[in-house]
Amino acid sequence: MGVIEKVPAYIERIPGGGIVTTTMDWVLNQSRACSLWYMLFGLACCAIEMMAAGASRYDFDRFGMMFRASPRQSDLMFVAGTVTHKMAKRVKILYEQMAEPRYVLAMGGCACNGGPFYYDSYSVLKGIDKVIPVDVYVPGCPPRPESLMEGCLKLQQKIKKEKMSDWASDRRQA
Amino acid sequence: MTKQEISEKFKNKFGSELEVIETEQPEPYLYISESKYHHLCEFAKNDPDLDFDYLFNLAGAHYPEERFEIILCLSSHEKRHNAVIKVKLNIENPETETVSDVWGAANWFEREAIELYGIKFKNHPDPRLLLLVEDWDHGYPMRKGWTGPDFIPMPES
Repeated sequence: MGVIEKVPAYIERIPGGGIVTTTMDWVLNQSRACSLWYMLFGLACCAIEMMAAGASRYDFDRFGMMFRASPRQSDLMFVAGTVTHKMAKRVKILYEQMAEPRYVLAMGGCACNGGPFYYDSYSVLKGIDKVIPVDVYVPGCPPRPESLMEGCLKLQQKIKKEKMSDWASDRRQA
Repeated sequence: MTKQEISEKFKNKFGSELEVIETEQPEPYLYISESKYHHLCEFAKNDPDLDFDYLFNLAGAHYPEERFEIILCLSSHEKRHNAVIKVKLNIENPETETVSDVWGAANWFEREAIELYGIKFKNHPDPRLLLLVEDWDHGYPMRKGWTGPDFIPMPES
């Protein structure tokens, strides 16, 4: 058991091909983390930074992250922008349409806890984690594309520590 | 037309129901009584000299213990002049006529005033909520002194 945990992948070269000896956990986590397809869910100004991070200078495609417009085809949702009470219902509906394993990244101050609209506002929901479970918070107003990228890398590290039974049982929050 | 001419024209038509507010703004500010409000709006739109065919703002205002107000901002595309019309409403039961048959843009502005201030408009074609959640029942948020379940006021210091 100790060997398997310390050496995640042991590649053996035999004539005619290669053989990798590893655990199922490692294979699944690597494949989930290295090809996160994210749903474009820009609500307000943070959407511009999300688009900039996906464009050519700060590229997301080199991490394997491609944008999809539909929640059915994506496994990461960036909640980028201010969430009002009226929009919170629709965010919940879209989150439930994503297939598991699914992750949420709260981008910007408004999605983390209400941001600049925390005081004196009748319509802003103070943080998206009152409605859906969030994995990574990226603060900023708006966060620079490099910050958003570090958030994604932290999410990749979190995914690589998962166990296969987390999604099968209810130990991880739905 | 200049500011004076517009005020003169309205005053000739409405006389004592109208009151001109002296300001330093380039457009005339007028108070009209609530009974002649719709009449004045039709006159402002249909008169060939005034020709106010563009309503670009309709807002509510709340002066606590005194009155509610409706503020209209009018403009003309051809003649290039503006005017601001204000109507004073009762503090207990603010109610007036809709002007969405004169200017179509007033429809959504009045919906916003209905849900945020509680001002009622008679014969409004679509009095649904516009900006708030569909099952909102926590009062009228833009009145002074409103608090709600999720409302955190700015601390003093």
